[in-house]
Amino acid sequence: MTTTTAHTPAVTLTLAGRSLTRILRLPAALVPTVAMPLFFLLGFSGSYSSLTELPGFPTDNILSWMAPWAVIQGSAFAGIGASAGVASDLEMGIYDRFVMAPTTRISLLLGPIAAAMARVCLPVTTVLTVALLAGAEVPAGIAGIVMLLVAAEGIAVVGTLWGLSIVYKLRTQRSTSLVQVGIFVTMFLSIGQVPLNVMHEGWLHTVARVNPMTNLLRMARQGFIGNVTWGDTWPGLLVIAVAATAFGWLARRGLRNLTR
Amino acid sequence: MTPLLQAYVLARRAVLSTLRQPSVYLPALFFPLLIAAVNTAAVGRAVDLPEFPHEIDSFLSFLLPATMVQGVMFGAVSSGSDIALDIQDGFFERLLASPVWRPSILVGRLSGGAALGGLQALVFMAVLVPFGAEIEGGVPAVVVLVVVAMVVGIAIGGFTAAIGVRSGQQETVQNMFPLTFILLFLSSAFFPTQLMSGWYREVAERNPLTLMIDPMRRLVVEGFSVGDAAQALFVSGGIAVFSVSLATWQLSRRLARLA
Repeated sequence: MTTTTAHTPAVTLTLAGRSLTRILRLPAALVPTVAMPLFFLLGFSGSYSSLTELPGFPTDNILSWMAPWAVIQGSAFAGIGASAGVASDLEMGIYDRFVMAPTTRISLLLGPIAAAMARVCLPVTTVLTVALLAGAEVPAGIAGIVMLLVAAEGIAVVGTLWGLSIVYKLRTQRSTSLVQVGIFVTMFLSIGQVPLNVMHEGWLHTVARVNPMTNLLRMARQGFIGNVTWGDTWPGLLVIAVAATAFGWLARRGLRNLTR
Repeated sequence: MTPLLQAYVLARRAVLSTLRQPSVYLPALFFPLLIAAVNTAAVGRAVDLPEFPHEIDSFLSFLLPATMVQGVMFGAVSSGSDIALDIQDGFFERLLASPVWRPSILVGRLSGGAALGGLQALVFMAVLVPFGAEIEGGVPAVVVLVVVAMVVGIAIGGFTAAIGVRSGQQETVQNMFPLTFILLFLSSAFFPTQLMSGWYREVAERNPLTLMIDPMRRLVVEGFSVGDAAQALFVSGGIAVFSVSLATWQLSRRLARLA
């Protein structure tokens, strides 16, 4: 037992490495984590550049507004990509061998999480580079970038655990579509496109106000439109902690049912 | 069996196979409606901007043509995807072994896509009008919008069919999906080009989809005009002729390889 526990970090890293290799073997996996966030950055900034003229819009630089949203989206999909790898292994029967192996179950969860956290480098570097070259500003400097990184890694962990909780339950690759829809809808029903004070006082305003993604985006975006404050930071950290705990519990329960 | 009847039978098969798969047609209905609802609520106040076309006071009316085109484009991807599936599972070769009129393979599939496109357009109008979208052009505009939606179904179906026939891989066709979304975004579909700037505006103004969607929008927000109806039909028709020619060429090449 002691030996098994001692090997947990090694198993976690091996599984994470295996998940990352999928990107090299399946370049299409880069589409949701790199191509789509870049498209969202350029497409939304290009289409909606004049929205900054609306009264109450917190910045006059649309790229500064959209870049963190695109990074968070790519990071969430990095998590989904890691869970999609598990779905593929489950369908092909490879995961049965992992489950039978003499290792701790927690490493089966930590492997995809570590892979997702590493994959976050892709949307962060590509989107930030393009955004900064195109004219995005970060008034808060390094602190603003750090907040974005924390939010990006946080949503990657949450996205992985959300993905695993569904994948362990349905055990098919098709189930990742459901995971994607969940993230996609949550992202859009938030302050992704415009802040609350610019929205109509209607259904979206109500939904976005209570959507946890709104707090996460506030944390990620704060350094791009002003200073970093504890008031904009702690709600985002709380969202990550609560969501990771809830989806982690679901994923762990799903894995336990899988091994029965 | 006459060639026309063969095409009808294959078109009926295409429509039925789509209607039997909710996972194919529901996203093509749900996502455009979701995007319309979210965009109206999120950026609807843009109609107050001074540069926003002054004749538009409802962002939902503004988005109606884009929602229709978007839904039809998403749905039309299944035309090419189904042709690829027919190739993958051997139905295509069985069809060729029969004395079927070869063009009916494409005509049937694209006619099915056109019928579904018209149906989608009616569904989008039926859903959005009660929520506040107004079609100032009345019944003539509705008829033109449905016909344009059918032609868009053929146009996009032609492109995806060309890829489906060439690759014979469903996955390759489905990778087209993000491209249709990008093309639509780089147009006036979701926001007026007058409010865009820089290279993005240049691209959007030259995008053929803008030339098609703008007259469709005028039929919705200004009223019926023969010029706008003709422009929408002419542009969508032109794209359809090009894409169907491409699909026919690819079909001929595949038939030549198999001969």
